[in-house]
Amino acid sequence: MTDSPLIEVEGLRFSRGETEIFRGLDMVVPRGKITAIMGPSGTGKTTLLKLIGGQLVPDAGRVRIAGEDVHGLSRKALFRLRRRMGMLFQSGALFSDLDVFENVAFPLRVHTDLPESMVRDLVLMKLQAVGLRGARGLMPSELSGGMARRVALARAIALDPDLILYDEPFVGQDPISMGVLVQLIRRLNDALGLTAVVVSHDIKETLSIADYVYVIADGRVMAQGTPQSLDVDRDPRVSQFIHGEPDGPVPFHYPAMDFHDDLLGTGGPR
Amino acid sequence: MTALIRRLGRMGCDLTEGLGQATLLLVQSAVGVPSAEGIRLWLRQMYFVGVLSLAIVLVSGLFIGMVLGLQGYTILVDFGAEDALGQMVALSLLRELAPVVAALLFAGRAGSALTAEIGLMKATEQLTSMEMIGVDPLRRVVAPRLWAGFVALPLLTIGFGVIGVWGGELVGVKWLGVFEGSYWGNMQASVEFVDDVLNGLIKSLVFALVVTWIAVYQGYALVPTSEGIARATTRTVVYASLAVLGLDFVLTALMFGGLA
Repeated sequence: MTDSPLIEVEGLRFSRGETEIFRGLDMVVPRGKITAIMGPSGTGKTTLLKLIGGQLVPDAGRVRIAGEDVHGLSRKALFRLRRRMGMLFQSGALFSDLDVFENVAFPLRVHTDLPESMVRDLVLMKLQAVGLRGARGLMPSELSGGMARRVALARAIALDPDLILYDEPFVGQDPISMGVLVQLIRRLNDALGLTAVVVSHDIKETLSIADYVYVIADGRVMAQGTPQSLDVDRDPRVSQFIHGEPDGPVPFHYPAMDFHDDLLGTGGPR
Repeated sequence: MTALIRRLGRMGCDLTEGLGQATLLLVQSAVGVPSAEGIRLWLRQMYFVGVLSLAIVLVSGLFIGMVLGLQGYTILVDFGAEDALGQMVALSLLRELAPVVAALLFAGRAGSALTAEIGLMKATEQLTSMEMIGVDPLRRVVAPRLWAGFVALPLLTIGFGVIGVWGGELVGVKWLGVFEGSYWGNMQASVEFVDDVLNGLIKSLVFALVVTWIAVYQGYALVPTSEGIARATTRTVVYASLAVLGLDFVLTALMFGGLA
């Protein structure tokens, strides 16, 4: 059982209005590893997480988690499956009317009948793991961005999930909290043996913790492999993205008429 | 021409889709057996939606009653009929002004707040994260607010009516010198429980459902950006006010127009 992948994505197609976001995406996420999904902004990385979490329904194709077809499940079964998943949102998404302690306690309270003393112990353990046991009484509005994300991480692991989905965990973090988050994600994975999917375009940080990387662009998997193999990949598109070059197959310039003609005003009114 | 027809068709589709979604939202959130936690959340919302609207509703009720007393007196006194002031004040308040004005104030005070709050929860991904934790936001976030609005507005309307009648007395009796016995006596003789009090309450229940429903739907369905929240909040107040005034005419026609 441990060899079979936790998530299998097959021929996934999804479009928003007229725009096709995925055109036949295939992907496999192995158990107990950190799998990174990378790609330029607007390639639908967050959409992919929402498709995996069953919040969006694909036009075609399948997503299976532990063998269960996510989009074939009833609402009830889907909610049961989600108890085994944690998700860390870009904004943290802490409940603004609850303090830090109650935010982390929330999944425990709604899904278990544990006595209050045990809820307290569990919450303190999770907060200790992210280094914020002392912040338990603060409200989300009193936290910095990095702290909010760590609290959200404690909440995401409150029920000891098998799978955790990270949506852009490093965006907008100062170097210190970035380092803290990178460490935490790796440590949690090693200590709890959970499977992680990290969606990000912070290349250096993501490559430093990922076991396997998918690069998506134009609705498909453009490249995949270990961080080392991608680093030396010769495909110009992969190389441009991984090494952050401003110009390449993805052009620096938005499509426009010839610059010379444009300056001379021979092309049109503006 | 084709573009126009296409746009009309698109608008029709959007409208139908919106109505369908709003109905689904209402059914999925409001129907069900409440848990102990649900009741706790409902009580909390009763405070935010009801208690916090109390001040504006009561103060407005007082002023409207006072204006009714003043206006009613100046008209009635020409016919020597100022004794009928109590009945005039009470009937206008119970049948029309209390349910309608309280609902309009409620839409402005509580409805817009509901839309903005739910919208903000959506924009900051709180609703999504709730879903991912395996908790249905319709039951957890929308239902308590919907029920709180449905219960709070009729109670506020009663408060509005009571304080309005007292405001009318304050001006008519205490200030302008209408005989106190005839103010209350005429009111007692002419106000019918079923025709006036109950009909007013029924109106208020309908308005409560419509205003709260519009408010939570606008919050739940909005585009999760700051601009989207601003637009949705405005829409809540506009749609809710129009719905209240339109429905008031329909209900009045059914109740008092001799149509039923």
